[in-house]
Amino acid sequence: MSNHDHDEEQLPPTPGERFTKVLKGKDVQQAFALGIFFTLVFVVLGWKFYPKWMPTIMSTDMKSNEALMVAFTYISAPICGLVLGMAAYTFLQRQRGDTPPEDGPGIRTNGPMVIVWTVVTSLFALLAIIWGIVELNVGSEAAAAEAKTALVVNVTGSQWVWTFEYPAQGIETNELNLPIDRPVIFNVISADVNHSFWPVQLGVKVDANRLETTVVHTTPTRLGPIDVKCAELCGLYHAYMETGGNIMTTTNFDNWVTAQGGHNA
Amino acid sequence: MTTLDHPTSTRPIPNPEKSLITKLHMGTGMVVGAIFAFGTYFWLRSGQDMTVAHNVNKVLLISMFMWSLGFLIGIGAFIGPFRWLIGKDLTAEEQLYLAGDGQGVSRYFRYCTDHKVVGIQYLVGVMAMLGVGGTLAMMIRTNLISPGSKFVTPVIYNSLVGLHGITMIVAMIVVATGPFGNFILPIMIGARDMAFPRLNALSWWVLFTAIPVLCSAWFLGGIPTGWTAYAPLSVQAGPGMNAFVATIIIFAVSTAVAGANITATVVTMRAKGMKWNRVPIFVIGATISVALAIPAFPTFMVSMIMTALDRTANTTYFDAQFGGSGWLYAHLFWIMGHPEVYVILLPGVAALMEIVPVFVRKPLFSYNAAIMGFAGIAGLSVLVWAHHMYMSGWLPMLNGPFMITTEMISIPTGLIFLVILGTLWRGKPWMKLPMLGVYAFLWNMLIGGVTGVYLSDVPADNYLHGSMYVTAHFHYTLMGAALTGALAGLAYWFPKMTGRMLHERAGYISFWFVQIGFQVLFLGMFIAGAEGQPRRVADFSAMYKYSNMISTMGAYTIGIGMIVMLWAVIHSWRKGAIAPINPWGAKTLEWTVPFPVPLENFDELPVITSDPYGYGRSK
Amino acid sequence: MTTSTENRKRFSIGGLVFVLLGVAVVSLVGVLLHHLSADPQKPLYATKSSQTISIDGKDYAKASAVLGVYPDKATAAEHGYKSNNKDWVQYGPSTHLVLPAHTYVTVTLHVYDSGEALNHAYFGKVVGTVGGTMNIDGTDVTNIPYDQVQHTFTLHGLPTSTQDPLFVNVPLPRVATDDKDNFLPTKDAGTNYKGHTVTFSFLTGGAGEYVWNCEYPCGDGTYRKFGAVMGQLGYMSGKVTVA
Ligand code: HEM
Ligand SMILES: [Cu+2]
Ligand SMILES: [Cu+2]
Ligand SMILES: [Cu+2]
Repeated sequence: MSNHDHDEEQLPPTPGERFTKVLKGKDVQQAFALGIFFTLVFVVLGWKFYPKWMPTIMSTDMKSNEALMVAFTYISAPICGLVLGMAAYTFLQRQRGDTPPEDGPGIRTNGPMVIVWTVVTSLFALLAIIWGIVELNVGSEAAAAEAKTALVVNVTGSQWVWTFEYPAQGIETNELNLPIDRPVIFNVISADVNHSFWPVQLGVKVDANRLETTVVHTTPTRLGPIDVKCAELCGLYHAYMETGGNIMTTTNFDNWVTAQGGHNA
Repeated sequence: MTTLDHPTSTRPIPNPEKSLITKLHMGTGMVVGAIFAFGTYFWLRSGQDMTVAHNVNKVLLISMFMWSLGFLIGIGAFIGPFRWLIGKDLTAEEQLYLAGDGQGVSRYFRYCTDHKVVGIQYLVGVMAMLGVGGTLAMMIRTNLISPGSKFVTPVIYNSLVGLHGITMIVAMIVVATGPFGNFILPIMIGARDMAFPRLNALSWWVLFTAIPVLCSAWFLGGIPTGWTAYAPLSVQAGPGMNAFVATIIIFAVSTAVAGANITATVVTMRAKGMKWNRVPIFVIGATISVALAIPAFPTFMVSMIMTALDRTANTTYFDAQFGGSGWLYAHLFWIMGHPEVYVILLPGVAALMEIVPVFVRKPLFSYNAAIMGFAGIAGLSVLVWAHHMYMSGWLPMLNGPFMITTEMISIPTGLIFLVILGTLWRGKPWMKLPMLGVYAFLWNMLIGGVTGVYLSDVPADNYLHGSMYVTAHFHYTLMGAALTGALAGLAYWFPKMTGRMLHERAGYISFWFVQIGFQVLFLGMFIAGAEGQPRRVADFSAMYKYSNMISTMGAYTIGIGMIVMLWAVIHSWRKGAIAPINPWGAKTLEWTVPFPVPLENFDELPVITSDPYGYGRSK
Repeated sequence: MTTSTENRKRFSIGGLVFVLLGVAVVSLVGVLLHHLSADPQKPLYATKSSQTISIDGKDYAKASAVLGVYPDKATAAEHGYKSNNKDWVQYGPSTHLVLPAHTYVTVTLHVYDSGEALNHAYFGKVVGTVGGTMNIDGTDVTNIPYDQVQHTFTLHGLPTSTQDPLFVNVPLPRVATDDKDNFLPTKDAGTNYKGHTVTFSFLTGGAGEYVWNCEYPCGDGTYRKFGAVMGQLGYMSGKVTVA
């Protein structure tokens, strides 16, 4: 139990010696190996699985959402590895028996360790904060830049149907069709209780409130079908408050608008 | 049930024969409560047009409160204050009687002021609530077993989700501070009882009256809103919603009373020499938890009173057409809602911190970091509520600040991990049941915490908000961490509370069933959420088929594990091996008193000279 | 030693029995809830006919269904329909329709309620029917004013890769209170009010499960009048099975 117990040495070692000594300890090395293993598990999760689980990226926002989730998984992987490696190592040291075993070393605290730990978690938090703030800014700047050319869609949630009005085109429908590569602004409102407008593959979301228009914007970047769901419990048929739509080429979109009796704008 | 009997007391058994208090118990409470409730119902109803929703709501709400009041009168909750008011305070003998001296099992069904009785009452009550909530969870998962499943209708499904949620939340808020905070905590600090024994009994029996009220929701058509009861949906909801509103208001009274009592006890009744840096860490965690609830819960109560007024008097607090706002509700709710998750988490974590040193035979690593962790979490938790409203459209400008406060919580949370890992490090843990809970906690809290950081970042929340991913995240923290902590606490303190050892083998079986089932269940839900399945949906499209099926299998596994747990508890309580006074070799005070714990705990009050973590070979 | 093995055995058997008992209790709750979830009425099967119709060059078989919308029990009874238990406005004889797949379905609705304004004007439009129209008492229309509506029949479902999309919205014209032949049912009205007859047709796709609900705020006086009847199944909402 005490083969790596530097407390029992005769001459007080220098901090550097203590540090290398600690690194050479069997406990540290084994925990480290376990930590690497757990880190890899999480890296693989972020690398292979999130992109697989999450739907096709069909907009700028969805791209940054998924990038963020993957990146956070990478960043948190070593932290998870550290915690789980330490925990797993001590788990392997477990003992059984019916009476309390012998006491372990009476370590009450370790100042430098507490400080290092706090600094590391703070840095992790700081990174997450900065990343988030930057994304927020990038998003709002893009919104301002796109506002002039954007397609406007007025979205209304009613218990339990979504409808979409295209004011410039003069049409109103129950499916959400959008042209590719053109910024779109959704003005969202509810006819009754709260709903939450969620075009899944576009990676944006905002609540629909009565008499308070909320706004969200994005740019579709890929052709294909999308799902529009309600992400706020709204009563009886909340689950069925879904509809579909398509991201279309501009020509197809214009044709569709005309077929609906609207005019192109 | 011999273990519940009081020891052969040296005192004569108090028998204040003529006093009313000897005649009152749970039964009389129920009778008076029922008379109050039904009397009010039929009396009010006769003058009203009961086809109008507002009138129905009014009559039902008032009847529910009258049930609660009637029950408390019937069980004798107000006799003490009443006697004091008329200048005939309770006699010493009556007080002893109220404390349950020499009454055997019957004191568990009375308005009993002994903190140990209240602790057991909470324990049984919490287990019942967890059982009900768990059964509802099985129903939810059965409906979600495959797309297009018609196991229950959407009306029933929505009620299942909401009532599972609120039942579990109520149970989890008291799961550790109820049984352990009442039974163990006063002994841990070397007190003879709680600061306000009558309030202690009051907190339990008030909570008790909320249970039938909550159950009545099922007979009134259920609730469509989920446990968050968002307005204006809650204003539109049918009569079942009244049960929810009344439950929360009654429950808020109970937690306020309990919170004030526990806080006062810890502040004023610690044994001689128990300075703040010698207080066992469970006491610190539990106290911070209940103290945090004191400012937090009133906003929930207020939001429910406003909901009740909108539903009965058409006050339109939440109706935008008449100047109200749904956001107002969301704020009030989450100003309670976020601190509340820490109210749930902290006592569970603190119980684990109490356990680790005992089984690793090392001092708690950095006691100060533990306190800073708890205090930091509690402090920040009141500043983060709007992270639940990133997508509400309410002032997107403030998403940044709330993101910052939220992510800062990972710093004190990191300290919690440090304390537990530091205590484990270089120890050889004695792998008993409570210790397994510590490892399960580390894994679950890590996953709950990391996914929480994703969710707190606005861009990721854009996608994940309102999805099954959120549901999986908060189950990792609430169930995987807090409930695991509370169950480890149960395994740890079971010998002190019941005088018997918890059956270990059954405990292990249950542990592995529950923990493995748990990982499967919520892994499936993380996937469903990442794939884009919203939460609280009675039906889902076929693309989420496999993730949901996996989840349901996991849920059934948990269900079986929990039944085994219940069996272990019931069996061990009745027939388990007799526990020694201090089976774990722990150094906190509760392990110095014999079982059954005498009425006033200590013959002679202890004097404290150090903290209870003096394990280990000294340096 | 024997007593301890015996004890252990007894413990294991006890545990097993307990687990089975627990599972039984939970299952019982499930059976009960499932029982309570039965369809409020027997499903209404569309009547198939031998005729076919050609639309956009494709032939479809025809089928039809007849429904009523009754403001209360009494009116329902006068039209020979024993209504669902609450005295609420309701569709009858069933809120669960079963329709054949890939078929031209014609629905006839006899409607007898009064009405006011919709919460959302969109639902005053006819959507998803063949030709985008419906027929009211012999006249084809594409929409009705949003404040002249009594109820709507709004059919929708989950967008899922395994079933075809289906969306139909038909607003039902209210019975005006000042119309002499068509006044609202009152106690002594007898059966001499006619209500309106609305017919519309739509094409079903492949097999699938859909839901429909009313978008007219006909619930009780709570928020946006979507309480009570609007929150319960079997009156103003139901399902459509395409089989
Ligand atoms: C047997 C274990 C459990 C299972 C199988 C389970 C399962 C579920 C499921 C399937 C949902 C609905 C998911 C959704 O659609 O959003 C849910 C919701 C919820 N559960 Fe659990 N759960 C369990 C234990 C717990 C525990 C211990 C808590 C403790 C607090 C809890 C708290 C909640 C809450 C607050 C909700 C949200 C309700 C709402 O959306 O209004 N659950 N649970
Ligand atoms: Cu909705
Ligand atoms: Cu929160
Ligand atoms: Cu209607």
